[in-house]
This record gives sequence, structure tokens and C-alpha cells, in this order.
Amino acid sequence: MIEIAESAVRSSKKLGVDEAEGFVQRQRVIEIVLERGEIQSERMKIRRGIGIRVIKDKRMGFAFASMLDQQTIQETCRDASKLASASPRNPDWVSLPLPEKIPPSPEGLYDENLASLTLDEALNMVLEGYETAKETDSRVSIDEGKLMVSSTEIAISNSHGISLYGKGTFISFYLICVAKEQGEASSFAYEYDVSRTLKDFSARRVGELAARKALLSLGARRIKSFRGDVILSPEVASEILFAPLISNVNADNVQRGRSLWADKIGEPVSARSLTVIDDGLLPYGLGSSPFDAEGVPSQKTVVIENGILKSFLYDSYTANKVNKKSTGNAARESYSSPPSISISNLLISPGTKSLEEMISEVNKGIFVNRFSGNVSNESGEFSGVAKQAVYIEGGEMKFPLRETMISGNAFESLNRIVAIGRDRRATMMSVYTPPILVEEVTIVSQ
Amino acid sequence: MIDLLETCLLRVDAEYIEMRGHTRRVFSVVVKDGRVERIAKGLNRGACARALVDGSWGFSSTTVIDKKNLLNILTDARILACSSKPLKKRHVRMAPAEPHVDEYETCMKEDPRNGDLESLVGEVLDADAEAHEYSEKVVSTTLNLSVVDDEIFFVNSEGARIKQRIVRCFGTARIIAKSKGNIASAYESIGRQGGLEIFKDTPLREAALKAASRAVRIAPKQVVPGGYYDVVLENKIVGLLAHEAIGHTAEADLVCVGSFLSNKMGKKVASEMVTLVDDGSMPYGFGTMKYDDEGVPTQRTVIIDRGVVKGFMHSRETASQFGVAPTGNARAWSFEYDPIIRMRNTYIEPRDWTVDELIEDIKDGYVLRGSGGGQADFNGEFMFTVQEAIRIKNGDLKETYRGATMSGNAFEVLSNVRGVGRDFEMRIGICGKEQPNYVGIGGPSVKTKLLVGGR
Repeated sequence: MIEIAESAVRSSKKLGVDEAEGFVQRQRVIEIVLERGEIQSERMKIRRGIGIRVIKDKRMGFAFASMLDQQTIQETCRDASKLASASPRNPDWVSLPLPEKIPPSPEGLYDENLASLTLDEALNMVLEGYETAKETDSRVSIDEGKLMVSSTEIAISNSHGISLYGKGTFISFYLICVAKEQGEASSFAYEYDVSRTLKDFSARRVGELAARKALLSLGARRIKSFRGDVILSPEVASEILFAPLISNVNADNVQRGRSLWADKIGEPVSARSLTVIDDGLLPYGLGSSPFDAEGVPSQKTVVIENGILKSFLYDSYTANKVNKKSTGNAARESYSSPPSISISNLLISPGTKSLEEMISEVNKGIFVNRFSGNVSNESGEFSGVAKQAVYIEGGEMKFPLRETMISGNAFESLNRIVAIGRDRRATMMSVYTPPILVEEVTIVSQ
Repeated sequence: MIDLLETCLLRVDAEYIEMRGHTRRVFSVVVKDGRVERIAKGLNRGACARALVDGSWGFSSTTVIDKKNLLNILTDARILACSSKPLKKRHVRMAPAEPHVDEYETCMKEDPRNGDLESLVGEVLDADAEAHEYSEKVVSTTLNLSVVDDEIFFVNSEGARIKQRIVRCFGTARIIAKSKGNIASAYESIGRQGGLEIFKDTPLREAALKAASRAVRIAPKQVVPGGYYDVVLENKIVGLLAHEAIGHTAEADLVCVGSFLSNKMGKKVASEMVTLVDDGSMPYGFGTMKYDDEGVPTQRTVIIDRGVVKGFMHSRETASQFGVAPTGNARAWSFEYDPIIRMRNTYIEPRDWTVDELIEDIKDGYVLRGSGGGQADFNGEFMFTVQEAIRIKNGDLKETYRGATMSGNAFEVLSNVRGVGRDFEMRIGICGKEQPNYVGIGGPSVKTKLLVGGR
């Protein structure tokens, strides 16, 4: 694979470009989709491709192809080079990254058991999750779900001498369940598991937790609107607090005036209890890799420390622009996209309280398991339906709530964090966060 | 490629088997704040096989197209169908469909294969510059222009052999303005099925300017005070409502699991002024194909006829379950996906009111403009964000507010319709239902009643 990437760089250089980069990807994916409560589709995908980035006189071109034969690669190099000529000159362009020492690969990024998982084994896992949900309680039925297993190899090569190979595996599974009792349906309960290795994964656990969540929301009631405390589940905290935070510390957004924190380095931006670290080297981490999508070494970057904004997240282009070092945060969705800035693993430092202790401290508020609505990453405004929410009064969970709206502003809420739980969970977004208690959120019931 | 697919297909034995070969050529330019963020050209080619064995589907795909790999995916698809069979309750049967042998190509004046794609970069940069020049309050712009050229081959064991080439040209503009410490963003799009002439007929710069003027207009404004109001929904919002909140409930796979329309066939669910259609054959529609990805001819499918539920959208599988003819709604995003029931071009039909007539007898309400996306459940409950709300007092337009939400039950909203405009417009959409797909959404402006929410 690495030879293919290198040959693309050589072919591009022959066309007279200043710099070139080849990114080759090979992937095997199994997907099993549950719908209408049963297996709807199962797919086996074999996927490969190359993305070629070239720079000519500070002009950039990018082209990709899903075929790796010599002729296609030559054509793709020509396309990239032609596009570079058509592209305007970018005076801010400095250089593709130079080779650096790459740290040893963190443990647990590749699991041979997942790479060689057969379709039958995958089907059985889905069935296990499915059966567990139904066995947990006869009132529970499954609405939808999906299991995905992927094994990916990549190779990056550039004209400055970077030449790297890496591989990784993933498994993820989610289920959406609903419970029915005497004609009343619960709200849709969502539960998931995601892991880099098979041994840390359990479809059974997903089935059981999804079923329990669905049961918990039976007998839902309404409440009067109020402004009060809200405990956000890890998933909801990721969506409404950390997605705007991630957007605000993205160096590209900062440089383009899209971040409200552009001039806030060294200043407080959140409650003092909040510490946020981007760690690309976390063992078993969902977003871990020894190097990023441009071949820059991964690292640990302190983003917020005790409420003080410490650093933005950079790729090589945005770092070069302001004379800094890349933080190794370049990512690619696949070979078909050029790199852009993304978190690796965003770690929220845990507090000391269990969820029960957090609940016991709430005088009047709600616990939100899921959120469905809009979050503006630029302004931080969020507004939407709190799903699977539970009403808390006098430190106790009272009853599940019918569809209730919550709204507020993420940047204000980050300053109104009252407590951060101690039990951290990885979300599908690669944010590792405990539940978070925030005060003064608007809670509206229709 | 189609000959190779056919040769391989004939060598495998199954109750039913189909293969698709798909080549997608993409050209895209993304400009952010005067800089080309991305200029890319791409080629994705692959093939897939789907086999039905004893009522169970199996599916497999590859990006390596030669005899060996194609025979491999055919075998894999069959093995998958067999091994998943014991896990499925559902026994799939397919409604009959005539095996067509045909070719179709998007009607184009300027085929992008002969066009100078590189020169489009300048057009996007110009549009971006104009958006920035519009006002110093414009702080950030993201413009995108894309040309997607799909070649799809379909063969099945019943003898179908279809070649289709579908070309789509489209662009989007997202503009962010800052004023009085507030940030507001506005979005506009252009595009349809067709060739490069689209960028001349509907220049991206017009969309960019429209978005810029809206973003600048709403940035300093207050968030709308909420409440239940008479509203006039701009045509762009009506398209989203038709697709997202109503259309999905008429997809037969969702009807089966109890969507709002599941027990409403022949019943009245909307005002008589409302006729809602999903049309796969609409000329130039963003979601138009001559045949769907099961080789079934697409058609104009009436979902709601003057307020009454008339039809659902079907694949061959659900058509057999319902005992009706397939409607040509089985679509796949790429060779990596099996076809599922998808909308094509979904819209509410226009009538004869002007927008002024829709507004004139509203005593206290809003005109809602600019669709910002949203969610809907298959029970018809929805919440969309709109970019701009303009107060109506005694038939006159008053102050402007920014960023509102609208919510309620879509069928209640349709039952409350008291006027349907003549300003029909289709626009582009990318719908996600486990896999994405290109769809057209549209309608005229509509007068109704719903819950307008602030922040």
C-alpha cells in the first residue's frame, strides 16, 4: 500500500508540482441494519481508494479515485495537478508537513478478531442484542438498530519524505427500543456501544440497557415550564455542550472569525471545574492513531484547564499560518476528502460524584438522556426536545416526562456547570465525558 | 461494464438476483471567505450484487471490477442471504415488474464531460466576493458548487438491462453575519438535474447575495416571541414540510411499522386545498430517474389528493405485501447500498393565491422564511428551524425577527391550511435514511396555523 502512495507522489512530482501527498485507504466493512424490528439488510463492503493532494505555486488541487491501478493513479495525479493550476494562489500556504518522529502506536487500536470477524458472527451478535432486549421485558420491542464492523488500513506519503502505514479496527452497535403498555407507548430509547476491540464490546449490554431505558419512560407525565437544573447524559452533553466547544477551538474557525473564543486564550471560558484534553494517543481510544491524516505525530493537547482556555486544535495549514506547530488534529472521512481539523479523543476530566449523588443534589430539575433538536455551533444556541427525560424533585427521580423542550446557550451553560460526574463514557462522537449538571436551563412543557 | 455484469450474473443460480454497476464522477469546489478551501475531482466505481434466496436478501459490493471479484460478490450475496435466513421472520416476496431493456440520459444543454469545469472555480470565487462586499457585517461565507455525474447499470435475473446516466449540478451558500454582538447564519441553494447551463440559468452569486442580505438583516434582530399563530410559510419551508414531516409517513416500509398514515388510506388528513405528490419522473427534478434501482419505471405518485390519502411509496417488496404495483421508489445511494424506499421529488401542488393574498386577512401572525432544517417523527410531529420571522399585523408586514422554530403535528398543520399560493418552487435536498440520497422538495407558499417558538 505504501508503495502505491509513494508512486502517486512520484507521478505527481513528474508533472511539475512543488509538493504532493498520496493517501491510500483499504477497508472491509460489515453492516447489519435492523428495521421494523428485524434484520433489514446485511452488507459486506470491500472498499479501496486513493486521494492525491498537490501544491503548485501555493495553489492546491485534490483528486481521488476508487481504483488503484497505475493508469487510474496517473490520471488522478493529472486531475489534481490541473485543478491546482485552476485554483487561485493562497499566500498563506507554507508547506505540507515534514517528517517527524512518530510515537509508538497506543495499545488497542487494531484487533485481529474484528478484522477477521465473519458475517455469521456479526449476525449472531446482532441477534444476541436483539434477543436480550426482548427477554429483558415482554413490553419491549425493537424499532431499529445497526451494527458496523470495520477494518481499515491506510498509507500516507508526501514529497517531503513522510511515509507511514497504519491500521485500525472498530465495532459499533446501537438499538432503539420502545416499550408498550395498555396502549401507551414509551418514547424511543437509544442505547449504543462502540469499541476498537471485540473483548470490550457487548451487544447483549446494548440490548439490556436499551430495553431498561424504554421501560423507564413508560407512564410519562407533563410538568409546568420552569428554569432549572438539568443533568445531561454523556451523549447529550457531547451534543449540546461539546459540539459548540469543539467548533470554537477548531483553529480554522478561529482564523476565519467563526469562533467566539478567537481572542480568549489564557482567559476563563467555562466553570473552573472543567478541564478538556484532546488526546490522540489514548490507548483503545476511538479517535487514536500514532499520527494524524497528514502524517503529523499525534499528541495530547490541553484545550481547557480549570476553566481557562489553553489551546486551539490545529492541522499543519492553520498552524503554519500563525507560526505554530500542528497539534496533529488533521482528519479525513475517507480517501475521497482532503484533510480537515477534527478532535481525536476529547477527554472531559471527571469529577467525584456518582450519578445518584448528582441527582440527590438537584432540588428541582430534569435528567435528559437524549436530545433531538438544533444546536448552532457558531452561536452556541440550542433548542430541542429532551427525550427520555426524568423529572427530579427534592433530590429524587420522580417520574418520566412527556416530550419536553429544553433551550439555552452552550457557552453560557459551560459557565453554569454545577457538577461533573465521575463515570466517563465514550460517545459516538469520540467525546469521553461523564454526565454533567448545568443550572438555569429553560425547560418548556407544552 | 454492463456486459461483464450480465455475463457474471448468468453464471449464478438464485431465486432472484440483481447487479448494479455504478460510476460516479464528482467535481466540487468549496470556497470559504475568499479562499478555495477545496477543489476536488473524483471517480468512484464499483459494483454490487443482491440475491434473494428463500425469501431472504443478501448483499455484497466491491470496488474491484473484474470477473473474479464480481463472481465473488455474487457468491457472497447468496451466502449472506442463506445464512441470515434463519434470523428473519419476514419472508420477502417481490411484486412482478416487467424487465425493461432501456437507456436514459439526463437532458442537458452543456454536458459537463465536454465542459471546462476548472473555470467554475472563478464563478464561485466571484459569488463569494460579492457576498463579502454586500456588507461589512458579513463575517464568514461558505460556498459550494458541485457537479455529480452518475452512470448506473442495472441487470437482473429476469432479463432487465438498463443504462442510466444522471447528471446533477448544484450549489449552496451559507453566510454568517455579525451585528450588535449577535451571530446569525442564512442558507440558500441552487440546482437541479441537468448540465452546466444550470449555473448560468441560476447563478450561484444570486443565492449567495440572497443569503447575505438575509443574514445581515436578521443578525441584529431579537429572537421571535413564541406562540400559536396564523402563519404564511414560504415555499422553501413547505417543501421541507412535505418531504420530512409528511412524505416519510407515506413510505411503505414506515407505513408497515405504524407511521401516522398506516391506517389512513382513503381518509381525510388535510385540507381539500392540499394535494401532495412524490414524482420520480418530473423533468429536471433533483430526484428524478427513469427507473429506480430495482429497474422499476418511476412515476408520479399521488400521496394526498385534495386532502385524502391516495397512495404510498413502494419497492417491489412492499408492493407485494400491500398487493399493489411498485411505484419506482426503491433507491440506493451508491453501489455500497441496497435499495430502500426513498422519496424522489416531493411537493405540494400550487393553487392560485398570491403571497399578498395569503397575508392580507391575517390579523396577528408571521411570515416564516428560509428553511434551516429540522427533525420529524413518523407520527407527524416535527420541529423545524426557520431563519426569519416577519410579524403580520392586520394584513401588513411589520418587524423582523431572527431564528425561530416551528413545531406541531404536520397533519394538523395541513388540516389548518387556509390558502395555497401560486409561487411554486422546487429545490434540492439530500435526505438521510440510513443512507443519503438526492431528492427534490418543493411547493408554493401556504397559509396555516402552528406553534412558533423562540429560542
